[in-house]
Amino acid sequence: MTAVLQRFVIAYSRSLVAYGIVAVLWIVASLLITGFGVYPHLRYIVELAAVIGLVGVGQTIAVIGGGIDLSVSAVITVTALVLPMVSFESDSSGLGAIALSLLVAAAIGAVNGLGIGYLGLPPLIMTLAMATILQGLLVLIAGGSAISVSNATLESLGSTHVLTISASILLWLVVAAICLFWLHGTRSGALIFAIGTNPMVSKLSGVPIRRLTLATYIISGLCAGLAGLLLLSMNGQGYVGIGDPYLLSSIAAVVLGGTSILGGRGSYLGTIAGAVLLVTMTALITVINASEGWRSLILGCLILGMLPLSGRDQSR
Amino acid sequence: MGVQRAVLGAQNVSKAFFGNPVLRDVSIEIVVGRIHALLGENGAGKSTLINLLSGTLTPDSGEIRLDGQPIAALTPREAHRHGVAVVQQELSLAPHLSIAENIGLGSYNRRGGLIDYGRLAASVEEIGQKLGLVESPDTPVDQLPLGRRQIVEIAKALFIKPRFLILDEPTSSLAAPDVATLTKLIRSLRDDGVAILYISHRLNEIVDFCDYVTVLKDGAVTADRPLAGLDPEGLVRLMVGRDPQNLFPPHVSHASGDLVLQTRRFRTAAAHDIDFELHRGEILGIGGLVGHGQEDFMMGLYGAVPANADQFRVSTHGREARTAPFAKVADANAVGVAYVPADRGKEGLLLPHSIDFNLLLPLFARRSAEPRRWAEEQAITERMARRLNIKGDRRRPARALSGGNQQKVAVSKWLPLEPSVLLLNDPTRGVDVETKREIYVALQEMAVEGKAVVLLSSDTPELVHLCDRVMVFHKGRVAATLPHGEGTEEAIVAAAMGVRKAPQGEAA
Amino acid sequence: MGGKGARLYWRVQWRRNDGLGALFLVLVLFAILYAILFPGIFAIGAASKFVQGWFPTAMVAAAQTIVMLTGGIDLSVGPMVSLGSVVAASTMEGPLGIFGGVLAMLALGGGVGAIVGAFVAIGRYPAIIVTLALSFVLRGVALLIMPRPGGFVPRSLSDFLAGVHPTAAVLLVLLVIVWKLYQATPLGVGLIAVGDNAEGAYRSGVNVTTARMCAYIASGILQGFTGLYMAAKTGSGDPLIGEPMTLAAISAAVLGGVGFLGGQGTMRGALAGSLLMSIMISVMFFLHLPLVAQYIMQGLIIVVTVALPLIRASMRRGT
Repeated sequence: MTAVLQRFVIAYSRSLVAYGIVAVLWIVASLLITGFGVYPHLRYIVELAAVIGLVGVGQTIAVIGGGIDLSVSAVITVTALVLPMVSFESDSSGLGAIALSLLVAAAIGAVNGLGIGYLGLPPLIMTLAMATILQGLLVLIAGGSAISVSNATLESLGSTHVLTISASILLWLVVAAICLFWLHGTRSGALIFAIGTNPMVSKLSGVPIRRLTLATYIISGLCAGLAGLLLLSMNGQGYVGIGDPYLLSSIAAVVLGGTSILGGRGSYLGTIAGAVLLVTMTALITVINASEGWRSLILGCLILGMLPLSGRDQSR
Repeated sequence: MGVQRAVLGAQNVSKAFFGNPVLRDVSIEIVVGRIHALLGENGAGKSTLINLLSGTLTPDSGEIRLDGQPIAALTPREAHRHGVAVVQQELSLAPHLSIAENIGLGSYNRRGGLIDYGRLAASVEEIGQKLGLVESPDTPVDQLPLGRRQIVEIAKALFIKPRFLILDEPTSSLAAPDVATLTKLIRSLRDDGVAILYISHRLNEIVDFCDYVTVLKDGAVTADRPLAGLDPEGLVRLMVGRDPQNLFPPHVSHASGDLVLQTRRFRTAAAHDIDFELHRGEILGIGGLVGHGQEDFMMGLYGAVPANADQFRVSTHGREARTAPFAKVADANAVGVAYVPADRGKEGLLLPHSIDFNLLLPLFARRSAEPRRWAEEQAITERMARRLNIKGDRRRPARALSGGNQQKVAVSKWLPLEPSVLLLNDPTRGVDVETKREIYVALQEMAVEGKAVVLLSSDTPELVHLCDRVMVFHKGRVAATLPHGEGTEEAIVAAAMGVRKAPQGEAA
Repeated sequence: MGGKGARLYWRVQWRRNDGLGALFLVLVLFAILYAILFPGIFAIGAASKFVQGWFPTAMVAAAQTIVMLTGGIDLSVGPMVSLGSVVAASTMEGPLGIFGGVLAMLALGGGVGAIVGAFVAIGRYPAIIVTLALSFVLRGVALLIMPRPGGFVPRSLSDFLAGVHPTAAVLLVLLVIVWKLYQATPLGVGLIAVGDNAEGAYRSGVNVTTARMCAYIASGILQGFTGLYMAAKTGSGDPLIGEPMTLAAISAAVLGGVGFLGGQGTMRGALAGSLLMSIMISVMFFLHLPLVAQYIMQGLIIVVTVALPLIRASMRRGT
């Protein structure tokens, strides 16, 4: 048993560093700041982290596969704004509208996946272009106003607690479990690591790269869509720009979690910790009344600091 | 006054990569007035040694000496300044720059801080004449075919007016007339007082114009002597340590009449009009100078690059006929065709990942919908490791293995898929002698089992001794198909060079 | 240089234009379209105004190109420009005066570039994540220095850089001249070699680290200056003014034929690409298309420009 544990720790040591930092921060903050360490507050942090964490699922998979998804923030916003548009009378539970919105999100991911996997466009370019096109379309469609939402399922998502754990956290746990299982427990998940390490070797070994790339970006779109719906349930209304902070947050969570930006290495385990770390930091900065500027600065420095763990370019 | 002879040397140098020793206590001296041959099998350490002499790498122990003085931490820039120039197989050219800019790269003459284009143009013209470089010097290098780029690479070495010129297989991509020009040039350089280190597998070349030879075997020097009195067989004996005959298992043909793969007028970007037939149990060799379309042909056969043909039939597991070449690799894998690439590091293995993962990769790719079962996977990799004698902890990353063991992994990873056709691209490049023998024996075993093997090799003796037939490529077409017995080294090399042999008893 | 040298030099330069033909053709067509729509454009005043609008895009495209030629990328261009504008608007009234302020700006840009260079060239960390992280840092610093647009830019500087004088045009010409001079030095050619074949450049004796460092420092200086220019143009500093510029820089460079892998592309291509984009934006603006249409256009440009050669190549390979 200890041998398995040992192997686990060695393989995922990078990811565990982020957990260590979170633990330290939580302990120190609880001691220094009243009200920080109480259960409802910590739960709230995790609830907020759930949004980043959900986006991080797709982002982690994309990055491990050697790519990146810069369109996630746009997809979040699109999903949040599309939901009220596809809501219909006979859909009393709201699940129909949810399904349709997620379908839109997945479709956007599919377009990304087709461009990257089948046309060979660099992921940076494809998803960046998709993001800008979506941003433009969004403004044209929704204008500047916020759109309120009434959706039964979403409302219960925002308010239900099972054994004092929020439904949103449970949702995150479920999705996280699926992601971890796929990446580390299935053959196709293992192939993602291969593609991210060396696409040529993978191609010559018969790996279905195009299919897996398409799947990767569909998942990324889908997860961003889920995150958008979660946000909607927390906010009650959607507006243009609602998803903006989450692009960089998702990438930061992935990198802070020890996954290499170059691909082929890492784990979603780390992204979970990365997401919690980000929200913890924001909370601390809010408490000490620091501004947006400080948050941005510290975040950037944190990522730079994690670079030695994230991996260097081996070649010249 | 004693005569100072310019000397570049290595003294007791050792070098290891990821724990694998590549050079062990090697000493060598390159001296003016000699054309010094450096011989050794693939993987013996020749490339590493010249990297040490040229400053690209630094030795783990021992020292590099120049004119009697040791130099610590030699860099390529320093080496240039001391007059050391290297022409390596991996080109150092920048494809988007012009011929002239490439020739002078790193060593431009300056005028007031700017590049002196006047002197550059003059030098390029002068060197170009000596080498037969007829292309316009403003041509971007990426517009040149590989053979011409090799000439530019050589021109680049000559630009710094070297005192020491190191050439690593300079003729591997050259056409016959360019080889003659180069040989003449090397001789005249020697007479002008340049010290030359020459690496080649063409033993006839070496016997022809080299004066001195150092032999590397498994990272150590086994011979260091004048060439007088040695013929090609003698050289092989020095390199291999045994009679060449013992390297290869005795040839027995297991080719049956059953066709496994057949195609007519097969064509890819670099290969044209190839008629090809492969039988069960056959070992078919593919030869030719580097870059004459044979690799592209193999990749096209495998479905890795686009290909077209008038007819294309595969029958590995019974009756399966296709009319078109494989559109993708997975299609080829599905009917039992496997491919082992030439470049292990870039194309064959995932170096940072464990040996286990590498061994399981094609299986995972082929049957990706099945769940993972750790115990079963371990049993599979255990079996593979035992079959091909891969020792040690399989959780280590693949880069920790020696070249030979890496090659074994690259081949055995296909075994769980039970392939019927194995396409091998230079499988013994960079592999030590013992492993080579093991691979040769393994190939024979595969033929006995009824598998068909296509062996593309730059090592002519392999083609001569192992194959039932040899197809020799020249300029993208098949110049000759030689059955075993007729496929002598001379015949293969001649066909590769485009020399047409007159059939016996007929006028040419 | 002598006749032979000059001939070689100009022929090499001419060969660099291979592949730019289509771009220049489209550019000319759009310029004609623009002139037809707005006949007054060739008057000095209108032309000046246009160049002033084009100048920032051209500068950031140049900055991005220098980095991309070495095989890197810079995602912090926008925040750097913002930082530049903020610092410019904050230091002008200080003891340094205008001249000192301008120098401080360039030093700031170069300094930030050196930091990126240290991580990428010396530390060998991937440029994409280093510059992404740095974009956070620079944005944060800009917001901390000036949370809301403000500050002060001396009238004289504004007039000089963005007023009636054709300063912007002169500066662009100067940029091209300096770049051409740089490209005629061993280090300049080395920059392209490093992006093209880093291992090969190293073996040739090129100092790879120095070439990369110079690229990032030069790029930083250009970005810092652009920030100064934006401040002069708007009369104040703005911590978020550079936000759209990262994307614009990449679009313009890609449109101009600069490749992501390094070594491929020219400064003239990038400037042509930025000019084309500026003209397109002006045309769209005057046709009363909404601002966001620009974003859509930029996105489409990028995709099409990168996808077309790929599609063409794969069609060709189908033998």
